[in-house]
Amino acid sequence: MNLLNATTRYYLFLALLLFAVGSVGLYHGINWALRTEVSEQLADRRRELLAKAQANELAPVSQLATLLDISRTPRPLGFRDTILLDRIENEWVPHRQLTFPMVVRGEGPVWVSLRKSLVEADDLLGVVLSVMLGVLALLLAGMVALNRWLAGRLWAPFRHTLAALRRYDLQQHRPLALPTPAVAEFAELNQALNTLSQRLVGDYEQLREFTANAAHETQTPLAIMQAQLEQLLQVPALAEDPAAAPLVADLYGATLRLSRLHQALSLLSKIENRQFPDAQPVRLDQLLAEKVTQFEPLFEARELRYGLNMNGGPVAVRMHPGLADSLLQNLLQNAVKHNVRGGEVTLYLSAAELKISNTGPAVDGDPARFFERFRKHNAASESPGLGLSIVQQICEYYGFGLEYQLGEAGTRHILRVSFAAAAVSPAAARGAAARASY
Amino acid sequence: MKILLVEDEAALRGALAGSLRQAGYVVEEVARFAEAHEKIALHQYDCVLLDLTLPDGAGLDLLRALKANRSAAGVLIITARDALQDKITGFDLGADDYLIKPFHLSELNARVRAIIRRRQFNGQQQIPFRELLVLPNLAEVHVRGELLSLTKKEYDLLLYFLANPGRILTKEAIAEHLIGDAVDAADSFDFIYTHLKNLRKKLQEKGVENYIRTMYGVGYKLSHE
Repeated sequence: MNLLNATTRYYLFLALLLFAVGSVGLYHGINWALRTEVSEQLADRRRELLAKAQANELAPVSQLATLLDISRTPRPLGFRDTILLDRIENEWVPHRQLTFPMVVRGEGPVWVSLRKSLVEADDLLGVVLSVMLGVLALLLAGMVALNRWLAGRLWAPFRHTLAALRRYDLQQHRPLALPTPAVAEFAELNQALNTLSQRLVGDYEQLREFTANAAHETQTPLAIMQAQLEQLLQVPALAEDPAAAPLVADLYGATLRLSRLHQALSLLSKIENRQFPDAQPVRLDQLLAEKVTQFEPLFEARELRYGLNMNGGPVAVRMHPGLADSLLQNLLQNAVKHNVRGGEVTLYLSAAELKISNTGPAVDGDPARFFERFRKHNAASESPGLGLSIVQQICEYYGFGLEYQLGEAGTRHILRVSFAAAAVSPAAARGAAARASY
Repeated sequence: MKILLVEDEAALRGALAGSLRQAGYVVEEVARFAEAHEKIALHQYDCVLLDLTLPDGAGLDLLRALKANRSAAGVLIITARDALQDKITGFDLGADDYLIKPFHLSELNARVRAIIRRRQFNGQQQIPFRELLVLPNLAEVHVRGELLSLTKKEYDLLLYFLANPGRILTKEAIAEHLIGDAVDAADSFDFIYTHLKNLRKKLQEKGVENYIRTMYGVGYKLSHE
């Protein structure tokens, strides 16, 4: 139910109430006026008859009785409502009746009852109701038509604002530039939204700068820590105490982990901030072959069998070479890390997609959450769990499709990256072959 | 062997210089672009370690100056991870190698040694160590004149040790030297034990023992005695 329909409902409810009260009031008012009129007419007629009786111009009672309801016995006096049968239409009709005594010369007192039909009053109700209902129907139709028109016209700025908000993406670092419509409420709304988005963009920008600065400033101390700890390990005095050296070695290992975490986080924030503008055709087939060679010792150590299928020929995808490297690196890492001893890694690369499937322990949970940051398959793992987040961010950045599938009773994990529109033609790929070999 | 170290972070510069001096090099330390520019104009170096981000100038301009002087020095670029474009430009300008911060000092030693070796002897040289003799351009290792056959990884490993004699190499540094960035995927360093075990066994078969010592909980060391 939209806002207009909601207000219309209340308007209609009120209109119905007023119309009901109005109809009753109108009916009684008109009815009262008619009865008063009828009573007055009866009273006039009485006055006329009495005047004629005074002047002795009346016909004898026997003659009068054919025209008037005359009785020689007393009757209750005054106005009364009574029902009489209308012989022509054969129905009971309400009448107003006035009874009064009259002296007819030479014949003594008689009692006369004058009557007049009230039949108009019932018809009146029908007329009132039909007029009222007719007006109500017109009002209803008018309201609906007006709302249609208003919805199309008056609310247009509101819908424009709504559409702008839906499209709004903070990561584009641009405030909303909503126009100022003529309607004051919408103008106020747009102004408030513009201010809000300006503040958001400002805050976001500040946060981005802060992150970038923090990342830069953290990098140097980390490099110093790593270098100095390595130097500390070389100090001969350290060898004299068998407990000391492993402590320093642990510290050194932790520093390395910290610096890897730092690198992963700054990479993520850089992708989010769109700081990789130079895309160029990258030969993914060459890069993948290189990476697999690099990973071979790890495959061997974990007794993993691997298959590499790149029969589709050269594959070049437009992206930043550094991000291409990160993408493959993290996908392979994931396939090795979440594998089982003696398991398998299968890689398939074509111009349309890259598919990496690996054996691994069954995992439960929502596949969509595997891409969350700091999501760990194994809580005790030393890895911070950022690999798949990085993969997801890179795919999002270039508009690649990323899909996770579970096969073979939950023990085979398949990740599929589809390059879609980002892939370039094989001819362009051959041209790029010479350059994109890192 | 004279090395010019251009790095603006004092603490990092100290650690790098310390490690290089332990490895037997003469090291001159410089923090500023202007100072470095003066040094390369006046002196000859065997190798220049160049941090690309200096407060008062671009490291790449120093590289250009070196090449304009027709310097014989090898150049090792030190960059932040994200400065990929700088790395490519550096290679285009004639840099010999690059290292991404943060790096292992033992890795730095190995890279510097390789650069100087390539520059000085045009690759025609030998690395003698106790009873070993390595011919890098043939990728051959001789033990008391007998040829030792090694796999590529074992040979890499031995060269890495030879570049850092007497220095403790952490397992992390060895792992990264062998497989590069893929080391992030390694939950353990099992794979280096295999290569080390095989290398030691092959050396033992030729009658040389205890060259590579295990430093408990830390790493390994190529021993002088």
